Formats: sequence, structure tokens, C-alpha cells
Amino acid sequence: MPATREIEKALFETARNLTDPAAAAAYLTKACGGDETLRARVEALLQVQQSAEKFFSSPVNIALPDEADAPSETPPEAGDASQEELPNRRIGRYKLLQRLGEGGCGVVYMAEQEEPVRRRVALKVIRLGMDTERVVARFEAERQALAMMDHPNIARVLDAGTTETGRPYFVMELVRGTKLTTFCDERQLDTRARLELFIQVCQAIQHAHQKGVIHRDIKPSNILVTLHDGVPVPKVIDFGIAKAVEGKLTDNTLFTAYEQFIGTPAYMSPEQAEMSGLDVDTRSDIYSLGVLLYELLTGRTPFDTKKLIASGVDEMRRTLREREPQMPSVILTTLNNAELSTVASQHHEAPLKLISALRGDLDWIVMKALEKDRRRRYETANGLAMDVRRYLLNEPVVARPPSRVYRLQKLVRRNRVVFIAVAVVSISLITSSAVSTYLFLRERDARQRAVAAEQKETRLRLEAERLRQEAEDHQWLSEAVTLFTEGRIADADALLDKIIAPKPGLEYASTYRGVGEWQIKNAHWNKAAERFAKLVQVNQPEDWDGSTLDSLRYGALLVDQGNLTAYAEHRKVIISRHTGTENPLAAERVMVASLLRPADESLLRQLEPFSELAGKSLEISSEKPDLDVAAWRAMALALYEYRRGNYRQAMNWTERSTDYDRSVASRNASVRLISVMANHRLGTSNPASPDLDLARSSVETTFSLGLSTPRKWDGYWFDWVIARILLREAQALKEEANRTSKHR
Amino acid sequence: MSDVTLILQAVGRGEKQASEDLLPLVYAELRRIAGMRMARESAGQTLQPTALVHEAWLRLVSEGERTWQNRAHFFRAAALAMRRILVDRARTKGSLKRGGGRERVNIEDVDLAASPTDERVLMVDEALTRFEAEDPESARLVTLKFFGGLTNKEVAESLGVTERTVERQWAYAKACLFQMIREEL
Repeated sequence: MPATREIEKALFETARNLTDPAAAAAYLTKACGGDETLRARVEALLQVQQSAEKFFSSPVNIALPDEADAPSETPPEAGDASQEELPNRRIGRYKLLQRLGEGGCGVVYMAEQEEPVRRRVALKVIRLGMDTERVVARFEAERQALAMMDHPNIARVLDAGTTETGRPYFVMELVRGTKLTTFCDERQLDTRARLELFIQVCQAIQHAHQKGVIHRDIKPSNILVTLHDGVPVPKVIDFGIAKAVEGKLTDNTLFTAYEQFIGTPAYMSPEQAEMSGLDVDTRSDIYSLGVLLYELLTGRTPFDTKKLIASGVDEMRRTLREREPQMPSVILTTLNNAELSTVASQHHEAPLKLISALRGDLDWIVMKALEKDRRRRYETANGLAMDVRRYLLNEPVVARPPSRVYRLQKLVRRNRVVFIAVAVVSISLITSSAVSTYLFLRERDARQRAVAAEQKETRLRLEAERLRQEAEDHQWLSEAVTLFTEGRIADADALLDKIIAPKPGLEYASTYRGVGEWQIKNAHWNKAAERFAKLVQVNQPEDWDGSTLDSLRYGALLVDQGNLTAYAEHRKVIISRHTGTENPLAAERVMVASLLRPADESLLRQLEPFSELAGKSLEISSEKPDLDVAAWRAMALALYEYRRGNYRQAMNWTERSTDYDRSVASRNASVRLISVMANHRLGTSNPASPDLDLARSSVETTFSLGLSTPRKWDGYWFDWVIARILLREAQALKEEANRTSKHR
Repeated sequence: MSDVTLILQAVGRGEKQASEDLLPLVYAELRRIAGMRMARESAGQTLQPTALVHEAWLRLVSEGERTWQNRAHFFRAAALAMRRILVDRARTKGSLKRGGGRERVNIEDVDLAASPTDERVLMVDEALTRFEAEDPESARLVTLKFFGGLTNKEVAESLGVTERTVERQWAYAKACLFQMIREEL
């Protein structure tokens, strides 16, 4: 860097920090000596400083929906972007008039055809460095079939060709409409109106299928709705295009390919996702129609697009191939209130009515279209349309809920390996026992070998048994989740009894938690403890707030029920699970959950980082939590100091806690009790102090009223259980003191 | 292990060529992510380069390889790639809107800060190209800050300087660039 620039920088920097303009000027005069050029330059820089700041302060961002940067496989060379086909240009015999839009797969223009007839058309240029010749050839191959399609709900594909820059393009009937889902939501069409539109789409697809054309890319953006004399008419566009551009989809280009052509893997049938290429028939379109119906009814696709893409190719295929989507009515029950009411208002319907409208027939119709095994789907688009029609006419539908046998078959299919293992072992048991008998009769020596073989078989059988158990657990658990989301808590609870070793999972956790809470409401403390024990097993996502709250639930219940052996184990597990957390809230909960009983030195040492984190969070002003949160945290710290024998500090924290906030009755009781105990240990307790009695009456009243009794918000049930634990401890302390004083 | 990770390791070993190999990969990934986002977000929303760059980092570099040193290399490549993407994009859009050629504004007191993103991107890019010749160090910093959307801390890590230095140089670079841009008008 030239020396003058270095100097310039230094001067700018210093002068910039002088807030007084006069001082800055004086400084520059002195520093620049006689170098007027330098001075002028620095002054100019100082002058534009504010404008510069403003100019650079708003972030650079990429505005949507312009999609000029749709991904391509290779970074284009500089200037590539300018090769874009522009309006006011011609492509073949079409004159480009206006850019209509861009999709993942290319740009769509409104264009004018001059001969043989003068008409406006839609012209879609595919962007992708792909084998244009073959694309066009594939299109030509299907051209005749496409030409035979003539249906009011199908946009005709007219032509295809190659642009000067070597990209394939397609010419279609010009449709100016709104994407199907958008149309329905914006106009708040109710379920019936949506189904009517859907039936028309099915009929269009049926027509195409009869002419031997498979669409392969049915999705909302390929179905445009226009109004004809006020009547909405859906039109399916892009027939034949998916097939023409297909064939290049390999693993490497899969993602790019999805983004560019398919747009969303959520609409892909399992067999399409396999990408074997050969094996796609009309039933793939039926599947996509199922997805479309699902989205029309629930506002979302059976599998979340983001999650599908994020999960990677193999996992995505596996999901599409194996995972059963939730039924439309069930998925609505899993939404939070805001989401649900959005969907409901888009359907011009009350949330609960919407759910009950979907439950039953519509659920089954959708699920039949979405069958993984295409032989189980509707045979034809017409069949699907007919069933929807039957629903609208209140006639019995063809689609049925899965039978028991069928569900068992599915269980077998999902866990094929396990079942085969069991079968193989059973067969080998039969044959080998016959053989061993035979050997026994023939030769004594062989007996031992047979015994060894049997032992081996026993091992195998146990292993198979374990695998089977796992599969069954999984099945029960999924069913329990469904029951629970349907509000059938008692049934879910009964099912949970059968489960031996559940696997971790958020859905499972919420079911165990929900059922446990329900047991608490019914005052079945032991049952609740069983549920929470499993809950902490299945709830293991790291650093998630909920999991520490669950630890608190379970810990409090264990101590309250006097199960101290289990508690000792529990506190070890939660401390080691959360060691290293950076979340003060988690730290605070771990502290309370593991200090409900006196603790030994090593445990207290392990809690030190937690207490530091919690303490620090109260000191740093920028991160200061609200007063209610601060009061809880101070209580946790009070308990910690009390357990460490730092009674004065404990007192300090109890005071701080009440200073922060005293609006939560359960916390007030706990804080009071810690303070009573600390005072007692310090020998400063005042026999006349009402603290203990106040806390006792608050805890006893709460429990005598029952925790489920609606009262003002004053803490979770486990906050009260914690207060009760501390109350018992404080009372024991007092009694012990009374005894010793009597002895003296 | 991903290609990016391999290249980053090579960069770590001081293999010069490797650094250049990184750019196309990062470029492709950024474009891919941008495209994906655009396919999903609704109209009127915007994508922040910083989000794209960080997402690319998470996607491209495997868990065990995310060291600070690697991150610094990665960010440099990502900011360069982001600059190219933003400029290409702005050019395309500019030429589409007006049939080629960027409109020049000839009013002296035009509020530059109110220029739409694309205009700003092109203006900064042009000025930066000239600035690079004069002060390559500051120019690198501008690329990281303006095009890559990185924080001072991240820039400091990438360039191996202190945050304070970044702040100082950024203030200077902004003033210089702004002046160049204004003279352009």
C-alpha cells in the first residue's frame, strides 16, 4: 500500500474520533503540514462519512420472487446471465411479448405466434445445461399423444423447439390463472367448493390417461384456475414436459433436478422417487392427486418439503417409500392454535368443524390415493373423483379405514427383517429339534452337539424376541400417539402400559408427558411417575428447554413419592446430560431438580458450573431476564447455597427472589421454606416467625383443594410438589431441634 | 467427508491451488441454496446473503471439520461467490428492465442510500473493482462485509486481525467507496 494511503487512513481515523469539528480541523492542519491535497482528501472523506454510513447500512438482500438465480449445475462464466432470452426478441416463429414469470425450471413468456394463425401463447424456456436434442426428441415422441388431448381443463401443448442459445422451449396454450391452492385460500373456498375443483382436475387427468399421456408433475403450480363467467375453471398445464425433460435424473443431479423440474419432492410418488425411470405409470399421477387433495384439505403436504430436502436423497426416498403420512384430520390436530385457525379461516370454517369434516371418509379417500403400494391406490383418476363425488352426495365411499389384518400386514412390511428373523428361527427350531431327537436315538455322542445347537437357538430366539418386542413397542407407541392426539387419553394410557423400551422421539415425549399430566390431574401419582420415568427416557434432544422441565417433573414426583433410590439415579443422569449447557434456564432447572434432597460434595461440585451460569445471567444487564424468571432463578441459587451449607448466601438469595417478584404462590412457599431452614441452621430462627406456618397452610390448602381445581395461576403442579417436599424437610428439621432441646 | 472439507484441509496445509478450487463449489452451493429458498419463500420477501453464507457453511462442511481456521477460508470464498452472484443478478435484472445499459442518474444530491439493492450492488462492485487496485486489503474487507454480510467478528477471524481494526478499516473503506460512487454519478 502506498505510504500516502497509510497516512491518509491514520489521519481519517483520528479525525473521525474527534467529535468537536474545530478540534478535528486543528488536528488536520497540524498533521498535514503544508500538504493541501492530503488535507482536502481526508476532509472530503470525513464529509461523506455519514452518507456513506447510511448508504452501506441497509443490508444487501435478494428480493423475491425474481428467480433469475435458480440453481444450475455449474457456475456459469461471467456474462452468462446476459444470454437470457429477452423480450422483444424472437424464439423460432414466436415473438416474445412479456415475461410472465419464472419457475424453478425456467422462464415463461407470453409470446405471439404469427403463422399459421395469429395467437398468443405461453412459451417456456427451460434453463439447464441439458441435452436439448434429446429433450426435444422425447417431446416429439409424445407429440401425437399430446395433440390428441382435447379437454376444457387441459392447457394444450402446441410446440417445442430449441432456442438459438441451445435451450429447449415449449409452447403452450396461454392460460392466465391463479395457482390452485392460492385461488382456494384467497377466496376462502370451503371444503365442498375445493372438492368440486378437485374433481374437475381428476377428470382432466383421466382424459389424459385415456389418451396415454401421464403428467408426472401434478402440483398446485401446474394447475391454474381461471374464471369463466364467474365460474372457476381449473386448467392443468405442462403436460408432457416432465417426461421430455426427464431421464437425466441421477443421484448427483437429483437435487438440482428436483428444484428445477419437480419443484417439490412432496408431490412425488414413492416409485418416482426411486428414479428407476421405467416404472412410472398412471398411478403415479393418482398419488400426486392424493397429495394435491391433502394440501387442498389441510393446507400442507403429507411430508414437509423442507424436511424432505434437508434430509438428503436417501432419507427422502425412504420417507416417501416407507413412512405413513398422518391422516388429514390428524395432522390438523397437531397444529397449534394460530396455524389451525389460519387453515380454518382459509376454508371459511370453524377449526373443529373442519377437523370433523375431514375425519372419516375424506381421511380414507386421501390415504387410499396416497398408498405406498400403487396396487392399493385408486385404479383411475376417475375412481378417485367418483369417491369424492360419493362423499359430497353422502353416499358410502369405496375407501375404507385400514382393517386390523391390514394393519398387521403393514407392521410386518415395515419390520420385515424382524418378522423374517422370527420366522426363520421358528422353522429352524422345529427342524432341528426333530434332528436332535433323531440323533439322540442313533448316537449318544451327538447329544451334546444337539444341546449346543439348542442353546444357540435359544440365543437366537431371544434376540428375535427382542427385535420383535422393539417392533411392537414402536407400533404401540405410534398408536398411542394417535390416540392421544385424538383426545382418547385413557386409551392411549392403556396402550402405554404394554410398552417396554420406548425409543426417543418428540412425539412420543409429548404423549408420555400428556398422559402423565392427565394421571396427575386424577391424582394417580404412582402411575404418573411411571409415565414420567419413560418420558425422561424418550425425551433426549440436547439443550431443549422442555427436557429440563420434564426432569423437574419426574424428580419432584420421585422425591414426593419417597422413591429415593430412583431419585439418586435420576439426578445423576440429568446433571451429566446437561453438563456444559449454556442455557441459564436449563441450568436453573437442573439445579432445582437435583437438589430436592441433600446432596454430597461431589454432586454439589458438579453443579458449580450450573450455578455460575445461573448467577451470571442475573448480573449481566443485557441478558437480564424478566422479574418472574429472575425470582425463580434466585430461588434455585438459594437452594444451591443452602445445600452447600452457605446459609447466609442462601438467605441472600431468598431475599433477592422475593425482591424480584412475589406473585407466584408456590414459589413464595418454597422460598419461605428455604429461608426458614437457613435461619434455623444459622441459629437465628425466630420461634415467633410465621413463615413456616404460612408456607404450610399455603401448601396444604393447595393440595386439599386438589391441583386440578381451577385457581389463579400460581405454579405448575410440580412447583407445588417441590414446595411440599421442602415443607416436609423444614418440619423434620424443626421437630429434630425440638427433640434435642427436650433432651437437654 | 465432503469435497469442501478436503479442500479446506488442503488450504490448511498451505496448498495454494486448493483455495481456488473452493470458489466454484461454494458458488454452486450458494446459488443452489438461494434457488431453493426462492422456490419456497413467498413474493416480497428477501434473502440475506449472510443467511445464505452461513447455511452454505453448515451444509458443505462436515461436523468435525468446522474449525475457525476453516471457517475463515470458507467465508472468504463465500463472500467472493456472493459478490459474483449478486452482481450477475443485478446485471440481469437491470438489463431486462431497461433493455440493456444501466441508467445513469445525473442529479447531484440524489439520495444514494435509497437506491434499490441492485443499483447499489452494481455501484459498489464497480467502485470496488477500482479500489482493489489501490488498496487490496480494504477491498477484501469490503467484500466480506458488504457482499458476504459477515459480522465484524467474523471478518476479523477471516482476515486474522482484531475487530477494532476491522471497524476502523470498514469506516475508511466506506467513505472511500462512497466518494468514488458519488463522483461516478
